[in-house]
Amino acid sequence: MTAHASIQPAPPLLVLLPALVVLPVLLALPLLLHGGGWDLIGQFAWAALTPCLDPLVLRSLLNGLGVTVGMALLGWALSLVLGLSLGLLSSRLLWRTLAGSALPAELIRRLLALPRSIHELIWGLLLLQLIGQQPAVAVVAIAIPFGALVARVLSDLLDALPTDGLDALRAAGAPAPAALLTALGPPLLPGLISYGGYRLECALRSATLLGVFGLGGLGNELLLTQQSLQFHELWSGLWLLLAVMLSLEGGIGMLRRRWSMPRRFGLAGDGGKGRCGAAGRRGREILLVLTVLLPVLLLVARGLAVDPAALLHWQPLPPVAPQGWAMALALPWAALVGSTVGLTLLAAGLAVGGAPLLLLLLAPWRWGRLLLQLLWAFGRLWPPPLTALLLLFVLQPGVITAALALGFHNLGILGRLLLEGSEATGPAREQALLCSGTGPRLALLYGRFSGLARSYLAYGAYRADVILRETVVVGLVAGSGLGSQLRESLSAFAWDQLALLLAVYALLTLVGEDLSDRGRQRLLGAA
Amino acid sequence: MTIGHSSTPTSLHSSSEASGQPPVLELRDVHVPGRQLPRLDGLSLRLEAGERVALLGPSGAGKSTLLAVANGLLAPRRGAVLWQGQPRARSAARRRRQQARIGTLWQDLRLIEELSVQQNLNAARLARWGWPRALLNLLWPLESEACAAVLRRLDLDPVLLDQPVTALSGGQRQRVALARLLRQEPTLLLADEPLASLDPRLADELLQLLLHLAQPPRALLLSLHRPDLLGGFDRAIGLRQGRLVFDQPVQTLRADALQTLYAGADPADQFAAAAAAPGAANGFRP
Repeated sequence: MTAHASIQPAPPLLVLLPALVVLPVLLALPLLLHGGGWDLIGQFAWAALTPCLDPLVLRSLLNGLGVTVGMALLGWALSLVLGLSLGLLSSRLLWRTLAGSALPAELIRRLLALPRSIHELIWGLLLLQLIGQQPAVAVVAIAIPFGALVARVLSDLLDALPTDGLDALRAAGAPAPAALLTALGPPLLPGLISYGGYRLECALRSATLLGVFGLGGLGNELLLTQQSLQFHELWSGLWLLLAVMLSLEGGIGMLRRRWSMPRRFGLAGDGGKGRCGAAGRRGREILLVLTVLLPVLLLVARGLAVDPAALLHWQPLPPVAPQGWAMALALPWAALVGSTVGLTLLAAGLAVGGAPLLLLLLAPWRWGRLLLQLLWAFGRLWPPPLTALLLLFVLQPGVITAALALGFHNLGILGRLLLEGSEATGPAREQALLCSGTGPRLALLYGRFSGLARSYLAYGAYRADVILRETVVVGLVAGSGLGSQLRESLSAFAWDQLALLLAVYALLTLVGEDLSDRGRQRLLGAA
Repeated sequence: MTIGHSSTPTSLHSSSEASGQPPVLELRDVHVPGRQLPRLDGLSLRLEAGERVALLGPSGAGKSTLLAVANGLLAPRRGAVLWQGQPRARSAARRRRQQARIGTLWQDLRLIEELSVQQNLNAARLARWGWPRALLNLLWPLESEACAAVLRRLDLDPVLLDQPVTALSGGQRQRVALARLLRQEPTLLLADEPLASLDPRLADELLQLLLHLAQPPRALLLSLHRPDLLGGFDRAIGLRQGRLVFDQPVQTLRADALQTLYAGADPADQFAAAAAAPGAANGFRP
C-alpha cells in the first residue's frame, strides 16, 4: 500500500559510496607487498618524534624553506597578474559591453584551456630543458597553469554576476569602463580575494613539489634526505614545512573571516549562497596588505636572484631522436591512457570517500578529530612523489601504489574541507539524534552528512579533475600512466613523442574537466 | 518585583506515588550556573506517568535550561536527575538506551531535509538499530508498515512516506516531527515552546495532539509562552530566575499567581498573562 520508488541512495550514503574503492585496494595490498622495508618504515615513524636538531642541518633546511616560500609567493603573484588580465580578456560580459561581441572571449577561453590542462610540473620540466636550472623556472612554471586557472575562475565569476546594476549605469549614460568597474567591482572582489588566498596555499604545495623534481627549495632537500635514509633530517624539514603551512592556512582563514570574505567552497549546506552572500569589509586593511605585498615581492625576487631576462635565453634544443613519428605512434597508448584514468579514479575514490569514512570511524573519540586534522595536514604538505617513494619501501610500484600516494595528498585537502563544512552546518540535527539515543557515528552520518553530501561530492568532482592533472606527478615516480612515459620521452629528448604525449594528456584533462563540470552541475542542480 | 522569590512553591504530587512506579522524570535540587545569575537554582520536580505538565515563566526564567537538563543535553553542576528512578547511565550503550526513552520535539523540528519522510521517521529508531539497518534505510527505506501506522495515527496520508521532507507544508512538517517522536516510543515527551512560531489554528492543533499522545506510561513536559493555552494540562510549573515559583494543578492556579510570575517581565509576556487571567480565576478545565 505504500508504493516505493526505485532504490535510490540517499545523500549520506552517496558520500560513502566512493569509499568502496578501499575494498579492492585492501584486497590487493597483500599481493603488492614485496616483503622487505618494514624496518625502514619503522625508522621513518620513529624519526617523526626525534627530528634532527643539528644547527647546520636546520640552517640548510631553513634556507630551502625560504626558497620554497619565495618561489610560491612569486609564482602566486605572477599568476594573479596573469590571471586577472587574462580573466578580464576572457569575460564574455566585458567583451559584450566594450566591443559588442563575446566572440573574442570564447576564443581566448579555448586557448587558455591548454596551459590550464598541463600540470605545473610538466611546465617546470619543459622550461628546465629550455632555459636551464634557475629560480625563475619554478616561478613561471607555477604562474602558467595557475594564471590560466585564475583567469577561468575570474571570468566565470564575472559572467555569473547579475547585470542589473551595470545595465542601469549604462542606461544612465555612464561610459562602459566606469560602469563596469562600479557595477561589477564590489560584488566581484570578495570572491576573488578569497580565491586568491586559496591559490597561495596551492602555490606553497606546488613549490614544494617542484623542489622534489630538482627545481630548488625545500622539496629537493626532502627528497635527498629521504633517498639517503636520513629520516631524522627529513622530519626536521617536514615539521618546519608543517608549521609554515598551518600558519599560512590559519592566517589566510583569519583574514578571510576578518574581511568577511566568502569561503572558497563553502560546504555549509547553503547551496553555495555563501559565495555571494558574504560581503567584503575593511577595505582599507585590504588595500594596506596589497600595498605591503608589492615591496615584499620585490625583496623576495632579489633574495632569490630571479632574473626575468634569463628567461629569454633559450638553450638550443637537443636534436630530435631519430626514431621519428612511427615510434611515437607505436607507444602503448591504450594502456597509458587506461592506467592514467584508473589511477585517477582510484585516487579520487580514496580521497573523496576516505575523508568521510575516517571521520565516521573516529567520531566517538574526542582526540580522533585532532588526530585526523594532523594526518590531513601532513597529507596536504607532503608532496605525493615523496609518499610514493616511501610506499615503495614496502610496496611494488604500480597503479595502486601511485593511487595511494595521490589519494593521501588529496585526502588531506578534502578532509580539511569536510571537517570545516561539517562544523559549519551547525550541531542541531546531530544533537537531536544524539538526544534520542543514536550513537555518535550514525548521528554524524544522518545528522551532518545529509546536508553536506551534495556540495561535498560536487567539490569531489572538481577534485577528481585536479587529480587527473596530478597523475603525472606520481606517474613519474611510481611508474604508471602517461606520467612515466612522459618522463622517459623527456629524458630521451624524443620531442615528437613528447608533443604527442602532451597533446593526449591535455585532451584527457579537458575531457575530464568537462565530465567533472557536468557531474558537479548535476549534483548541485538536484539539491 | 520581589514576590516571585518569596512565594513558597506549592508542591502537589497527586496520584502515582501510590502505584510504586518511579516517576518518569525527577529533578532533585538541580543547580545550573549561569554567567551572572544561576540558570537553575535549587530546582526540584517530579513528573509521573500520564502527567501533562506545562512550564511557564517569562523569557530567561530557565525553561529551556530545565528542558535541556531533562533531555540529558545539559548535566547540572549540582543535584540529581533521575529518569524512571535511574541516574545518568555510565556506559555508552546503557546511556543510549536511556536516551532512546526521552523524546524531544524541537522548536525548529530538526527534520533531515535531504531525506524522505520515511527515512526521517526511521531516524528515530537509529538508537535501536545497528549499522546494517541504518545504512540499508538510506538505500531502501525500511519498516514501511510501522511508519505508515504512525502517520495514520496523526491523520497523515501514508502516501507522504516517499516524499522528501522539503515537499511538505508547514503543518505536515509539524506532524511528521510528531510522528518521528511516536516512532521513537519515548516515555518522556519534552517540548520547548513548540507553539511559539505557529499560527493559532496550527498551534491549537499541535497542542491537542501532544496532549493526546501523553497517555500513561508517557508523560509530557512542555514549555509554554502563552498561559491562555493551559487548558488540557494537569499541572503548571512556574519558573522565574531559575527558581520554582509554583507547581500546582491547573485548576487551582489563580490569576494573581500568573501575574506575579510575569511581573516586571517583557510587556508581551505580561500581556499574555493578563489575557489568561480571567480564565485562570475559574480554572482552566475546558
